[in-house]
Amino acid sequence: MENRGYTGNAEPADRKPIGELRGVTKRFGEVLAASDLNLSIAEGEFLSFLGPSGCGKTTALRMLAGFEAPTEGDVLLDGEVVNTLNAHHRPVNMVFQQYALFPHMTVAQNIGYGLRQIRPRIPKAQIAERVSKALDVVRLAGFEDRKIWEMSGGQQQRVALARAIINEPKLLLLDEPMAALDRKLRKEMQIELQDLQRQLGITFVLVTHDQEEALSMSDRICIMREGRIVQIGSPQELYDRPKSRYIADFVGTSNFFNGKLTQLSDELSTVVLDNGMQVQGTVGEGLTGGQDVCISVRPEQMKLNRKGEGLQVAVHNRIFLGEHTEYLVTHETLGDFLVLAPRQAELTEGAFVVGDTATVSWEATAALILDRN
Amino acid sequence: MTQRTRTWLLLAPAGTWFLVMLIIPLTVVFIFSFGERAPSGGVVLAFSFEQYANLPARWAAFKNTMTLAPIGTLSALLIAYPLAYFLAVKANPKWKTILLVLVIVPFWTSILIRSYAWIFLLGGRGIPALLEWVGIEGLRLINTPFAVLIGIIYGYLPLMVFPIYVSLDKLDKRLLEASSDLGAKPWKTFLQITLPLSIPGIATGCMLVFILLMGEYLIPALLGGGKVFFVGNALVDLFLQSRNWAYGSAVAVTLVVVMLITVTIYMRLISRLGASREDVSIM
Repeated sequence: MENRGYTGNAEPADRKPIGELRGVTKRFGEVLAASDLNLSIAEGEFLSFLGPSGCGKTTALRMLAGFEAPTEGDVLLDGEVVNTLNAHHRPVNMVFQQYALFPHMTVAQNIGYGLRQIRPRIPKAQIAERVSKALDVVRLAGFEDRKIWEMSGGQQQRVALARAIINEPKLLLLDEPMAALDRKLRKEMQIELQDLQRQLGITFVLVTHDQEEALSMSDRICIMREGRIVQIGSPQELYDRPKSRYIADFVGTSNFFNGKLTQLSDELSTVVLDNGMQVQGTVGEGLTGGQDVCISVRPEQMKLNRKGEGLQVAVHNRIFLGEHTEYLVTHETLGDFLVLAPRQAELTEGAFVVGDTATVSWEATAALILDRN
Repeated sequence: MTQRTRTWLLLAPAGTWFLVMLIIPLTVVFIFSFGERAPSGGVVLAFSFEQYANLPARWAAFKNTMTLAPIGTLSALLIAYPLAYFLAVKANPKWKTILLVLVIVPFWTSILIRSYAWIFLLGGRGIPALLEWVGIEGLRLINTPFAVLIGIIYGYLPLMVFPIYVSLDKLDKRLLEASSDLGAKPWKTFLQITLPLSIPGIATGCMLVFILLMGEYLIPALLGGGKVFFVGNALVDLFLQSRNWAYGSAVAVTLVVVMLITVTIYMRLISRLGASREDVSIM
């Protein structure tokens, strides 16, 4: 397993688990919201639940927060089973989707709310001091007496963040915290959140449906589908070695070609595509010979050439993206797929125009043989 | 048609109504209150404060109104709040509409008929008879302040339930989760989040009930049996029985003034309570 160098974090598995889901299933009446979730959250890591709406990621988060109790299985915090422990007893805090700030309180009153619940009482002066420190951390120093509705969306999010971290939770849960922000602000907040996590050393658990958000911030991503965890891994692992077509499609963009796995090998295996072509690639886990599979090749791993070996294609569309140019090309039997050409290649070799014929090639190791689901 | 004329045209029906039905009659009553009783009843216009000087004679009516109206309002609030809370927060959404309709159902029958029913219930052969059967004897309910209070609460409860229900229903339930998440026990969450955020509903409900109670006539007339009477009953008596319009007018003007003062104080209090809120505009 590889980890992103810049986080400086140790291997998640080596660290003490701060939160755990053991065979957790949650049913709402007939609806199965989460099914047999097994997951260990390491102390200090940034973990994301990623999946489309209704995949069970929010249910998983709410069980960690204490808003829902599992139907089966165990939720553990710091090594103790907390299945039915109420939210107000858990050392866990949450940043809510629309922030859920208290509209009748000032910024300082919102942030100090958690501290005011503690018995024996914390002296007022001490609360005020910690509130102003928390405001410093989220870069809102001096905003103590503002009303919530006077704050912009981005500022409200910082207040929500400060309100959650002031209690120094064991786990900070973030439920789609960036969904209400515009694109530019979202980018900024992503960086800030990461900084904050490293600075505070608090374990972050984020729920999102935005793959870019998950990829850019997380140490590990837990991909969910229809109530199940389908793969857990670092962003690179998920991108480079997805376990199925679903994951390859959800994390990044990829081209898929259906075929049958004819020859299985540790090195390169062979797939006969539906059009009869033979292609080689790296086989994923749990596949057997003769199985219906698909091969996945990322657009940036394909190379577009004027001539030479490869698939004969016609350039159908060209989108200039700055550092890359995205070509939609058409193959006679394989249909349309995407090729991403670096700007540098275009500058040296010249760009293709719509209607050009070209050949597409890739390294055999770049082609992944995956389950079709 | 200009914007301006259209605005005036749209306001004309309500404006006319207020002028003819409120401002003119109030002015007339105000002028009458300085007059004197004509020998054959009615009023002789004058400029004397004699009627106002006689007000203490009707002190009992003011006292009853000014005690039973606040007590009735407060009792209705205490009974209505848990009900509204249940309807808005706890009730199964499937049953909500039906339960809300059940709250209004009493309005489908005239208050007169419903108050008559209470005469029976509180009368000698009603609840006191039942209590006698279990050994509590000699309890008289009808024609007591308690009977009037029961009638008031019964009649005005829905008016209190609805505004509170509305304010609790629009309360973002995630705020309650956030409070719990931050370590507040359920009771603390109620005191710190739910209650303050439902103040607009409480304020509206109390105002509605209190103002209507100040002018109440029917319930004291039926359940108070002439022993527990409100200013409203005194007015009917003065205008229709004694035909002393001048004195009646003075009593009416005093009631309006008392009401204005109370409501002003009340509004001040509420706006101070909600000074830090944006949604106080509901008031």
